[in-house]
Amino acid sequence: MHMLIELKNVSYIYEQEPPVTALEKINLNIEPGAFIGLIGHTGSGKTTLVQLLNGLIKPTSGQVIVDGKDIGENKKGLKDIRRRIGLVFQYPEHQLFEETVYRELAFGPKNLGLDKDEIDIRIREALNLIGMDFDKYSDRSPFNLSGGQQRKIALAGVLAMKPGVLILDEPFAGLDPRGRKQLTELLKRLHEQQNISFILISHRMDEISYLATRILALKEGHIVLDGSPAEIFSQPEKLKEIALDIPQLTEILFRLQKKGLEVRSDIFDIEQAADEIIDKLRSRNIC
Amino acid sequence: MNQIEMKHVGYQYNKTGEQALIDIDLTIRSGEFVGIVGSNGSGKSTLARLLNVLLEPTEGQVLIGGLDTHKRENVQQIRQKVGMVFQNPDNQLVATKVEDDVAFGLENLGVPSSQIRRRVDRALEQVDMQDYRDFSPHQLSGGQKQRVALAGILAMEPSCIVLDEPTAMLDPRGRKEVMSVVQDLNQQKNITVVYITHVMREASRTDRIIVMSEGKIVRRGQPAPIFADIDFMNKIGLSVPPVTELAVALRKKGLNLPDIMDVDELVKCIC
Ligand SMILES: Nc1ncnc2c1ncn2[C@@H]1O[C@H](COP(=O)(O)OP(=O)(O)OP(=O)(O)O)[C@@H](O)[C@H]1O
Ligand SMILES: Nc1ncnc2c1ncn2[C@@H]1O[C@H](COP(=O)(O)OP(=O)(O)OP(=O)(O)O)[C@@H](O)[C@H]1O
Ligand SMILES: [Mg+2]
Ligand SMILES: [Mg+2]
Repeated sequence: MHMLIELKNVSYIYEQEPPVTALEKINLNIEPGAFIGLIGHTGSGKTTLVQLLNGLIKPTSGQVIVDGKDIGENKKGLKDIRRRIGLVFQYPEHQLFEETVYRELAFGPKNLGLDKDEIDIRIREALNLIGMDFDKYSDRSPFNLSGGQQRKIALAGVLAMKPGVLILDEPFAGLDPRGRKQLTELLKRLHEQQNISFILISHRMDEISYLATRILALKEGHIVLDGSPAEIFSQPEKLKEIALDIPQLTEILFRLQKKGLEVRSDIFDIEQAADEIIDKLRSRNIC
Repeated sequence: MNQIEMKHVGYQYNKTGEQALIDIDLTIRSGEFVGIVGSNGSGKSTLARLLNVLLEPTEGQVLIGGLDTHKRENVQQIRQKVGMVFQNPDNQLVATKVEDDVAFGLENLGVPSSQIRRRVDRALEQVDMQDYRDFSPHQLSGGQKQRVALAGILAMEPSCIVLDEPTAMLDPRGRKEVMSVVQDLNQQKNITVVYITHVMREASRTDRIIVMSEGKIVRRGQPAPIFADIDFMNKIGLSVPPVTELAVALRKKGLNLPDIMDVDELVKCIC
């Protein structure tokens, strides 16, 4: 289950006129069990990076190594890697292709060689995990669903494969607030209880800060920041320079500090932040 | 003047399916900036598609500047009045050069080329992209692409713009850029704006919000009092901005705070 992913000197160039260098000499180790938050301005190379990780595209130069093996040199192994490293695409309409939701969700498990009953169980489980009703949706065409519903189905399709590493490219885009919250809690639970490693791409700093154990920031194809959420989000000026921002909660805690209330600023959970503020207000008895 | 009037509007995608919209009554005045929020599948995009006649209502009537969308002879005129911007600018940008992209819609309308030039220039200026006219759209950032998509719509000189989750794929800077361009257009050019979003922080910056649930409008009015009813918002699958959520958590723990919508307010109230 546990996989170590390594990138050695990886560059990727889109061959077109003029060529676009999307990634340049990336070196990176992703340790088993990590929850990586991958952030960066639009066009910084995030999607390109995760497509390299599960072998959808091959590096122009350098190596992608999974559990000690270069995935470029092992064609048979590649199929296995795509099963174990699940990728939910940035645009779900690029992922969906079957006529019904049921068949869409059956596709991956079928490829794993599972029998009919097991496939049915997996589909029900996956729909349940993302909070969509089996009877209501299983016969619908995925293409006639609303934007947010399509995204959830694409995610369920990957969950039904039970991958050891789950890569999500902007999974919150298009989800309503309840859907975002449910997905956030689901990812946290899967990470804590089932030992799945995660790579989460998102422009939403609120969710990234709450979930990630390590954050990588890309800028123009280079990794420019690498650290814990507390380290990354203590640099608001630096983040703004690269088109990013800090979570709203962090902004509030910084502003309170400036006003002389000595709250910690490395809290990314609303309840905990509220406790911290009350605590500091009591002990100072000012304001 | 009323820009948009929906009278008892219903919409059903297929005869056996459920109603995507049920008995919608909505009037939007010229120059208003209206936000639409609602859970997944609540009918927001369907409503938007009725406004520029991508769909016709299966019940009731939609009037744009007084013109009925049911009447075939009105369709072209309505599409000139109402411009649509979608979530993903890549689906909207077709040409290899920014200025050609902005001109595309005008050429389709058969606008004379002397006029096209002028209108493209002006549209690019309005979104502050005049320096990028010779760029290829793929050389632009997401926020810049979304500006170009917006310029393509502005060149058509619509009196109303409908944006369906225009910032979902943008980085934080791009998100702020698009919001401020739209606000300027509304305030300075008096363009009517209908802004669909799942980001409550964005919705809280509009004049008036429409809250949808299961095909119906369930709340309408100024953002602050609507967001103050957190229990209701949660019940229909929505939320409130993080700052409001924190304020509520603090209140539950005994701090005396009013309804709060922005960071400045909260900081002032605590310290
Ligand atoms: N299929 C492609 N052909 C040519 N260039 C591409 C292609 N896909 C991406 N690029 C370019 O490669 C660079 C990196 O793109 P990538 O999609 O990895 O960025 P991203 O960080 O995922 O951005 P976003 O946040 O907008 O999704 C960009 O300059 C982009 O224009
Ligand atoms: N092409 C279609 N054919 C059949 N039903 C559809 C079609 N498009 C949407 N629907 C259904 O109509 C209802 C309203 O969908 P709509 O796309 O308007 O929702 P929305 O509020 O925009 O949702 P989201 O936030 O997910 O984009 C949903 O139940 C959806 O499944
Ligand atoms: Mg991307
Ligand atoms: Mg929609």
